Amino acid sequence: MRSLRLLLLLAFSFQLSLRQAQGTSPKDTERSRSAVYSSFAQQDDRLVDLNKQKEIYFADNQYSEFIELLNSKRRKDKDIASYIDYYIALTRYHQLKYLEEEQLWDEYFNKGNDYRNDIVTKTDKVIKATTPQEDLRIYSELLSWQYHKDLADAFEEEALANLMSSVLEHSKKSSDILMIKEVADRFLLYGLKQEPKKLYKVYVDKIASTDIEDEELTKIAKGFYDEGNLGLAQAIYDVCIERSINSKTKDQAIDLLSEVARLFAYKDEGVKDTDYAEGVFRNLEQLGGEEAFDQELLYLRAYNLEKAKDYLKTKDNYIDLLMRYPKTAYKDRVLYKLGIIFTYALRDIKSGRVYFDQLAQREINFSPHVISGLYQLGILSQWERDSASAKEHYNKLLELAGEDLSETVVLTRQRLNEIDQGKPLEYNLKTFLNVSLKDEYSALDMSRVDLRASLYKISKAESVSVATTAYAMQSGCMQVDLEYLWSGNIGKSTPSSDQLSFDTSYADPGTKEINLVVVSATGIVERSLDLLDVQ
Amino acid sequence: MKKFIFILAIFIFLGGLTGMASKPKADVYIKRLKNDHYQLIAGGKVFVVKGVCYNPVPVGKNHEYDWWSDPAKPWIVDGKLMQEMGINTIRIYQPGKDPQAVKEVIKDLYELYGIRTIMGHWLGFWEYPCPFYGDKNFQDRIKAGVIEMVNNYKDQPGILMWILGNENNYSCLGQVNPWSTEEIDQEPNLQKQKAMRAEIFYSYVNDLAKEIHQIDSNHPVALGNGELIGLEFADKFSGEVDLVACIIYRGKTFGNLFNSLRAAFDKPILISEFGADCYDAYKMQEDQNMQAFFLESQWRQVYENLANNKEGAGNCLGGAMFEWVDEWWKHNESSPDTWGVHDTGSNWSNGSYYFDIKAQDNKNMNEEWFGIVALSDDLENGLNKRIPRKAYYVIREFWKNPDSEPQTRNRKSR
Repeated sequence: MRSLRLLLLLAFSFQLSLRQAQGTSPKDTERSRSAVYSSFAQQDDRLVDLNKQKEIYFADNQYSEFIELLNSKRRKDKDIASYIDYYIALTRYHQLKYLEEEQLWDEYFNKGNDYRNDIVTKTDKVIKATTPQEDLRIYSELLSWQYHKDLADAFEEEALANLMSSVLEHSKKSSDILMIKEVADRFLLYGLKQEPKKLYKVYVDKIASTDIEDEELTKIAKGFYDEGNLGLAQAIYDVCIERSINSKTKDQAIDLLSEVARLFAYKDEGVKDTDYAEGVFRNLEQLGGEEAFDQELLYLRAYNLEKAKDYLKTKDNYIDLLMRYPKTAYKDRVLYKLGIIFTYALRDIKSGRVYFDQLAQREINFSPHVISGLYQLGILSQWERDSASAKEHYNKLLELAGEDLSETVVLTRQRLNEIDQGKPLEYNLKTFLNVSLKDEYSALDMSRVDLRASLYKISKAESVSVATTAYAMQSGCMQVDLEYLWSGNIGKSTPSSDQLSFDTSYADPGTKEINLVVVSATGIVERSLDLLDVQ
Repeated sequence: MKKFIFILAIFIFLGGLTGMASKPKADVYIKRLKNDHYQLIAGGKVFVVKGVCYNPVPVGKNHEYDWWSDPAKPWIVDGKLMQEMGINTIRIYQPGKDPQAVKEVIKDLYELYGIRTIMGHWLGFWEYPCPFYGDKNFQDRIKAGVIEMVNNYKDQPGILMWILGNENNYSCLGQVNPWSTEEIDQEPNLQKQKAMRAEIFYSYVNDLAKEIHQIDSNHPVALGNGELIGLEFADKFSGEVDLVACIIYRGKTFGNLFNSLRAAFDKPILISEFGADCYDAYKMQEDQNMQAFFLESQWRQVYENLANNKEGAGNCLGGAMFEWVDEWWKHNESSPDTWGVHDTGSNWSNGSYYFDIKAQDNKNMNEEWFGIVALSDDLENGLNKRIPRKAYYVIREFWKNPDSEPQTRNRKSR
């Protein structure tokens, strides 16, 4: 009986810490969850005090003092030995982390081995004394795995395999679903992918096996989405979607899929998962065909793919949008983006030109994208050394732009100057064009450089940060110096070649392309591009 | 008949003696145990390499300084300090130019302090413009140097093993000290280019190992390798080497290194260069604790993966931490006026050394501050005064009692 109480204490303490970690949920989500949880686990308030004491001691970093307390409790009640052992190991684990974080080295070097010894021997003792059906076993194995994971030592793999096996066995017999979630959350925190997915599936299946209403289940999913626990939110949404497809009308299922896709699709602010969103879009297409997509949803799908930098699929969806909605408000933006994507991402200058031409041939409604299209046609001609054609495009641009769109006008005048003075195309831009269009660089596929802006929909004069990470090959102690050749429409900033990032803003509306070529001493490493929409 | 049998028995006995005499046990060799773990045996005993990389360049000098011939004999002072700490091996990257001076250093360290020497060779990695491992003339010239080294020192008591190269494998990737051949240049696929370079390099090392074995059966030959990069090619082309000597800078842990090596190239491993600097590039101050923290954690992992540890990989032979004393010339090696200054500038970045990773441009590795013994610019008997750092004492204590660390579950600690 006493063991049961302690076990419930553990369950409660983990729920408590979980709630603390997750922050406050919206009330209705909390109500939905509480209703579900109450059918699985119960709390024992009599033992809450002990856990509270642990929290108080930990908050004051009084680890050794807490261990003294635990040992005194052990002396009074020998039946709780395993629980005391677990708490001692847990305390030593936090104590070592604290000593390292605070750089309290004297204690670390003098006592570190003793503390590590406590962690290993105490968890081993508990693991030996318990079965996978017991919560204490799971928590001890979780602690043991965390310890070895932190050290990345030889026992990590085995500890993980043991833990997974125990949790799965535990889940078959225990009604404590929070345990499964707790372990999965911890896995997620440590960057594991497959294991949390597997456990969330078990967790969600357990919830779904109750008589919970679809609406309640959706609320729980949304709650986890709002908390940023995407793995769990997605696992529950998957069940919701499956239920909806199997038991609701087609229109209702389409509505749910559209809602979930919108939720996860790319947006500057808030939680997103472009890959998951595209998966839901694919389901939606399968279920409802093209009719399931209105203009906005079709654009959102293409935009989501653009931000995921899956340019091959992006262009398919933008083309689809133009075919189905030829008068879409997004037309000029989409034409321009198609021109950029075909030319620089897919190395298809001929197709790219078709889209720039469509913009350039406009006789009325000269949007910023028309002007930018002319600029692109100009630089492509200039790169091909067709100065006459380049000048023609540039001059038309200046004529149409007048005093507006000053940034593009400035760039255009620079290009015209180069032609008039017989100078080559600006070095960074020319390098980007060479790397994007010449066959000798066809092995470069943008995979070695990550280029990201902090925002992709910005207003005029709004500040945005642009940063890159180049995945350079390993070189040991020998540092490979990289240069970053920025070009394109990069706004008011003029980043130098040693800058991995820069802040900028734009004076004019339109779609702005940021080009980058990364160079090492031995040659071109990679190129990348990014597209920003300025309102 | 009896006479015949007697003569035959005498013949067999003598033959056996002759055979035994022609195949004595090597002074140093690697033993593969029944559980597939590896042990280094030296002088008939299991030998765990408790090593340190050694290049005692005095303040104000650079790597060209011939410390081997230094009349103040730095190795005498250093050897004593090393012995007191528990170090049993020094690692040398390449011998000095005067073989007699080199022999004296090896002899003194071994005879006075029982410290063995791992002798390495750069394999021309730092030659300008770059190493041409695909060029026969280059190969022959380097090979002659390696063979000369082995011939010079193979009979010197105290020699532990040979290490061929250091991080030369990175040159196969094309970013560091790049080299090529006409055939490689014609290959459009970049991955294939790397594979072609790797085949050339690892086959060349294999040839060297083979030749060394022919002239010296007393000492193992190691392949010096940066991380585990390219070892899938070593597995195909470098079967002659006896072990891998890896250069690893992964911070607090070696991660899954030992198990990964088992899968990639099942040879024993010596962590021939690892460690941490003791300058906090973020706080801009010396931090000996930070260095001691990383080194202690690294040594614990080395010990966990020695032979007969049930749950470790069992393929580790020990390590050589980088390095004994600071080298004040390294940060700005082309400016002689800075060789007498203990530069605090950082040369490279490594996120695994997380305490000071927030330093400017994330450059947190201070090349001039890796010594576990600091140098003072004050002289003592003609040498820069040696001041052991915290790591010296922490590792000394660890070596005295590595058993205090729990190694595995359900098992007696070592």
